[in-house]
Amino acid sequence: MKQGVIADQFTAPFWSAANESKLVIQNCSKCDRLQHPPAQECGQCKGGDNLEWKEMSGKGRIYNYGVVHDCPIRLLQDDQPFNVAVIMLDDDPGIQMYSHLPGTPVDEVPVGAEVEVVFEETTNGQKVPEWKVVI
Amino acid sequence: MTTGYAPPSMYRSREGMGVWEHRGKVAAVGVGHSPTERRWDENPETSVGAWSIMALRNAMADAGVTPNQVDGLVIVPVTTTGAFWPEDKALPQDVIEAFVQTDDPLDGIAKLSVDWLLKNMPELTGINYSLYAPVCMSNALNVAAQVVGDGLAHTVLVLKAWHNLQGRYYQGGQNAQDAIGGTSAMRSLWGAPACYGTALQFAEYCHKYGKNHDMMTPFIINSRRNGLMFPEGYWAQHRPEELTDEDYQLARWIAKPANLFDNDIPIMCAASYLFTTAERAKDMKQKPVYILNHVDSNAVPRGLTPTLDEVEAECALTGRKIYEGAGITAADLSFENMYDGFTQFHQFHIEGLGYRGIGFGDALDFYQTDISIEGPNPVSPSGGNIGSGRSRFWMHTDSIQQLQGRAGGRQITGVDAEIGVSGGPMPLGGNYTVWSATPD
Amino acid sequence: MSTLISFDIDGTLEIGDPPGAVTLEMVKAARAKGILTGSCSDRPMSAQRAIWEEHGIEYDFVCYKHLLADLKKQFDAENYYHVGDRDDLDRKYAIRAGFGFFWPDEAAENPLLL
Repeated sequence: MKQGVIADQFTAPFWSAANESKLVIQNCSKCDRLQHPPAQECGQCKGGDNLEWKEMSGKGRIYNYGVVHDCPIRLLQDDQPFNVAVIMLDDDPGIQMYSHLPGTPVDEVPVGAEVEVVFEETTNGQKVPEWKVVI
Repeated sequence: MTTGYAPPSMYRSREGMGVWEHRGKVAAVGVGHSPTERRWDENPETSVGAWSIMALRNAMADAGVTPNQVDGLVIVPVTTTGAFWPEDKALPQDVIEAFVQTDDPLDGIAKLSVDWLLKNMPELTGINYSLYAPVCMSNALNVAAQVVGDGLAHTVLVLKAWHNLQGRYYQGGQNAQDAIGGTSAMRSLWGAPACYGTALQFAEYCHKYGKNHDMMTPFIINSRRNGLMFPEGYWAQHRPEELTDEDYQLARWIAKPANLFDNDIPIMCAASYLFTTAERAKDMKQKPVYILNHVDSNAVPRGLTPTLDEVEAECALTGRKIYEGAGITAADLSFENMYDGFTQFHQFHIEGLGYRGIGFGDALDFYQTDISIEGPNPVSPSGGNIGSGRSRFWMHTDSIQQLQGRAGGRQITGVDAEIGVSGGPMPLGGNYTVWSATPD
Repeated sequence: MSTLISFDIDGTLEIGDPPGAVTLEMVKAARAKGILTGSCSDRPMSAQRAIWEEHGIEYDFVCYKHLLADLKKQFDAENYYHVGDRDDLDRKYAIRAGFGFFWPDEAAENPLLL
C-alpha cells in the first residue's frame, strides 16, 4: 500500500481535491500553462503571482511504463513486482502523472491506451490519483 | 575564508557562446585517488574525510607540487546520493575526535566542508580562494577550469569524495516512513527506483528503433573489462570478476528494462585533480593535459520524467556546445568517456556526440562492433562506474591518463590519444570537459 | 529423502560481503549427507562458480535468486530450502518458488548443516 501523505501548505490544494475525488493541476493563468509537479513559479514566465489550481478532465493515455522489482520504499516492497506507468493527460500531454495502473496485470500494460482517473486511499487515509485502463 | 557555491556565470550553459576564452590555457597536472571500499567500517582512518585528505595529498604528489603552492580549492560538499546518517544512531565520537572539528559533527563523516579540510590539512597554507560545486566531480571540474582560466587562483585542487554506510542504499529516511510530505509524494509515492526514468527512456528507445535489452551486453562486458584494469577501482581491488553474457542477460530486474548490472554499485572513494595554468604546467612532473572547453547542461523536462525526445534533443545540444566551445568536431575525438552510472543512458550521450558518426538509434548496433580499447572506436575506456563503482570520476581520471599515456592496461592502442571528452551524469543535467594532449 | 539447499552468499556465507553465519564447513557437512547444494545470489553466476571452485567445494548448481523456481525443474528433490539474509529478496523468492526458508543464523543451527 502506498505511504500516507501529509499535505504541506504548498501542495494542500492538490491533496484536498484528491480527497474529494477531483484531479487538479497547477496552472499559470498568465501563460495558460499547466505544470506538474507544482512549483513556486511558472516554468515559462518565472512568475509566481498567477499560479492557480485547475480541475482536469480525468482522462489520459499511457505513455510508457516500467515494472519495478526492487523498490526502495518499505511499504511497497511486498507488492513487488508492480507496474509504474507514465500517464499523459488529455488536457495537456505535457503533463505526466505516475500510476500503478490498478487492475492491469504486471508487465501487460497497453501503451497508448486510454485511462481515466480513480482515487485510492493511502495508509493515512489521504486519497491519491490513480489511473485505470478504459475498457 | 567563506566558501560559497560557484555562480551561474562560471558555467558555459548556452549554445552560441563561441570558443572558450581560456581554451588550452588551463591544464590538469595531477591525479590523486584514495582506496575504495564497499561500505565504511566506521574507523577514523577510512572516513570520507580521511580519504579526501589522502586523495588531495596524492594529487599534489603526483603533480610534484608542494602544498604551499596550492592557492585554490573546489570541492563537492555532498558525499552521497542515498546513504544518510540515521537520525537515531549515535555519532561516532572516536572518529569525530580523531580530527579537528567544525560545528557540524558529521563533517568529514557524511559530508565535507572546505573548513574541515583546511583545519585538517594545515599544510595548505596558501589557499585564498575556494568554491563549492554541486552534485559531482564533473561540475567541480568545470568550476575549477574557469577559476584558473579567470585568474582567480593559479593552482587549484578539485575534490569529490563518496561515503557509503552500513545497510542498504536508499532504504532509510523518507523511504522507510509510513507517511511523507505532500511535495515529495508527488513523485515518490509510486516507488520508482533511481534507474526508473532511464529505464523508461531506454524502453521507448528500443520501441522506436527496434532494439532490445540484450544488445547492451557488449557494452557491459567491455565496461567491466576496462574497469578491472583500473587499479584504483572497486572491482579491481575487491572483486575482480569479469562478466559473461549469461551473467548480464539473466540478472534480475530492478525496474524492467533495467537489471541489476545496468546499475552501478555504491562505494566509498575519493579523487582529486590538480589544475593549473598552461604556463605553470610546463614545469610540473606530469605531462599536462589541456582543457579545451567545459559545458554545462541543465535542461528541465516538461513533465515528471524526461521523454526520449527531450533526452535526444538535450544530448544533441550538449554535443554541439562541446564542439563549439572546443573548436573541434566529432571527428577530432580520439575517445569518449561519457557517464554510465545507469548503463542505459550512455548511448544517449554518445549519440548526442555523434561519436564516430553515429546518430540517434545507432548506438546499440555500434556496441556490437569492436568498442574495445584495442580497436578503432573505444567506448568508455575507463570502464566508468560500471567498471569501478559509483564515483562519477573514473571517466575523468582515465581521460587525463589516456592523454598522458599513463592509463596502463587501459591505454587505448587502436587510435592515438589526442582529444577526449568526459562528463555527466544525466542526459538532461550534467557537466562535460574536453581534454587534449596539446593546447591547440 | 533427497534435499536441496541453496545459499545466498553476501550476508549469508562466511565468505560473503558482509560475512554471514553459515560456514563452508557447514556446506561440506550438508554435502556429506548427500544434500544437493549450490548458491543463489546476486553475484554473477560465473563469479559464484569461481567462489565454490576457489574454496574447493563441489556444487550442483548456481543461479540468481529470482530464478530459484528453476531449480525445482532441474532437480527432483523432496525438500527444497533456501538460506538468505534479505526478506525482500531471499525470503520472498524462496516462498514464491515453494522453498522452505532459513535465515543464516537459523541455518547455522540446523541439523542439515551440522
